[in-house]
Amino acid sequence: MRICRALMPVLAVLLLPALLYAKQFAVVIDTSNQSKDLTASDLVKLFTLKTHVWPDGKAVTVVMRDPSAPEMQLVLHRALNMSTEQVQAFIQAHRGSFVIVDSDDLVLRLVVSTHGAVGIIDLYSLTKDVNVLKIDGKLPVEPGYLLRGN
Amino acid sequence: MTSKFTTVLCAVALTLATAVKAQNTAPTSSGELRVSTRSKKARELLDRSWVLAIDQVEQQKAVMTLRGAVKADPRFALAHEILAQTSLDSAERVREQAHAFRTRRYASPGEQKLIEWLQNAADHKLIPAITDMNEVVRQYPHDRWVIYLANNWLIAQTQYERAAAVYENSGITDYPGLMNNMAYNYAYMRQFDKAFAQMDKYVASLPKEPNPQDSYAEILRMAGRFDDALVHYRAALDVDPEFYPSRFGIADTYSLMGDQARARQEYAAAFQKFRLPDLHEIQWKTREAITYVRDGHTQRANLAFQAIADYAHVKNISQAEADAYRQMALYQRTPQQAMMFLTAAETALNENGNVSANDFQQVLASILRVRVEAQLRAADFGAAESTLRRLEKLSNSADDPVIENAFNGAAGAFSFAKGDYKNAVAHLEEDSHDPRSLKLLSEAYKRNHEQTEAHRVSEIVLNLNDPTIEQAITVPEFRNCFEHSPCHANVKHAAFQK
Repeated sequence: MRICRALMPVLAVLLLPALLYAKQFAVVIDTSNQSKDLTASDLVKLFTLKTHVWPDGKAVTVVMRDPSAPEMQLVLHRALNMSTEQVQAFIQAHRGSFVIVDSDDLVLRLVVSTHGAVGIIDLYSLTKDVNVLKIDGKLPVEPGYLLRGN
Repeated sequence: MTSKFTTVLCAVALTLATAVKAQNTAPTSSGELRVSTRSKKARELLDRSWVLAIDQVEQQKAVMTLRGAVKADPRFALAHEILAQTSLDSAERVREQAHAFRTRRYASPGEQKLIEWLQNAADHKLIPAITDMNEVVRQYPHDRWVIYLANNWLIAQTQYERAAAVYENSGITDYPGLMNNMAYNYAYMRQFDKAFAQMDKYVASLPKEPNPQDSYAEILRMAGRFDDALVHYRAALDVDPEFYPSRFGIADTYSLMGDQARARQEYAAAFQKFRLPDLHEIQWKTREAITYVRDGHTQRANLAFQAIADYAHVKNISQAEADAYRQMALYQRTPQQAMMFLTAAETALNENGNVSANDFQQVLASILRVRVEAQLRAADFGAAESTLRRLEKLSNSADDPVIENAFNGAAGAFSFAKGDYKNAVAHLEEDSHDPRSLKLLSEAYKRNHEQTEAHRVSEIVLNLNDPTIEQAITVPEFRNCFEHSPCHANVKHAAFQK
């Protein structure tokens, strides 16, 4: 047994673990960046470097985890509409604008210390050191948020 | 002289008080939370509650101990918080969370941040809760309470990967209760090798306790290793013959193995040996009744469930009575019979005013969900839509994940029946605790031409081993399709761990 939240046998199915588990990714920027909201197409433009600079003139640097990692497939599929191979080729061709790291902690550290950086992390790794961007007016916790899935 | 002496005394007292305060609030250098209470007894009781609640999973005893701790020091904010997180009584959980938040001003900064995190979580303010949790974990990476609370909360949020990362990064390897928790977490991720490694350590660390063997058995059963599960349940009873969850665990396991006659023998023997608290009596009487559902004996199942409803009625446990009728509706052969039991369920729920508002809404939502399904079976789309709107209203007003799951399950079934598979997928993905929703989700993916997803979800349903009615009415039929009947390609190609 492990500790449980309710003794009632009622609704026992609710004590089952989630059989699929949801992932939500947050798009994060450093706290000096005044941006608050992106459209889904803005996000694609940022990550495909069609947008090179932020409205305040800072150059965009994309920080993300290895795009071949299983947990990144949702991001590639939903935000970039590219295959893993396409993303890797694109990153190779634009090395100066991408930083690929091993963990969400490193994404956060680089975003905090790099003006103009934008990163993608698991929502549950979020800290107060960065700001979260809304996508199409929605935060990661809201129904219909783009970077949410199983 | 007196005046000067008094001044010196006051200064000494002030210095000492400041020192004591500093000792009670400064973060420790070891990465552990400083616990703020001036009551030695309260502190000891909190430590005792760790052993009871986390290591031994003696939750009722732990709650009693924690009640003692907050009685010994009513300003002990952390103890109020742990009691809020441990109590089995929803009213007490709410009350103690409020006490923790109110008394946090007497606590150290780390304890304050921890309480703010869990208050945000209770208030469904998810983003502040996440950032507070990560702040506490960052400041106190080696504190057992912090790691335990973070793990438990993340598991409740179904964030199993993050829960594993928090534990692995903590460097903590020597707390038996955390091993137990993490073994379940790995099992939920279906990483059974890691789960069994944790279980080996848990059993070795508490060889004279029954719960490690009981947990090991349950996780083996989740993995479909029924014979090994029986060995470990029996080992738990060798350690403590009075540990009745393992005795009933044996019966549950035979039921999942498909041997309902043996399961019923085991239930009967266990009921004869142990006198159970009412709610546990209902829990395992329900499991016993499910054996008839698995055998396809509807009339016998009806008799067994009716006896449970009658027992709950006599004991004035309205939600259990209502839930017995709801479960009866699930396996009826015709939607008309199902509707009859659903009416009985709503009547039972409304009969007594002894159900908390939260419990009432949760049970009502679960009844409405089954009603939508029965109305769809009867092809009465108008009635189903009307019930669905009622459930949606309940879901929008309650802000409760249990009710949201019920709504999403019903809305997914409704969209599926209307042929709107895209919408069905969106709803059913949000009700992933329930095998009924996953079975439908697999089919919805297939009809959306998402074969990889359909295959993945089929595999989850095929390998689900849990002694609930929802599993009983879904999984055996799904496996039968896999093994014998000409059925869908996504099911045929899924791997069933026999």
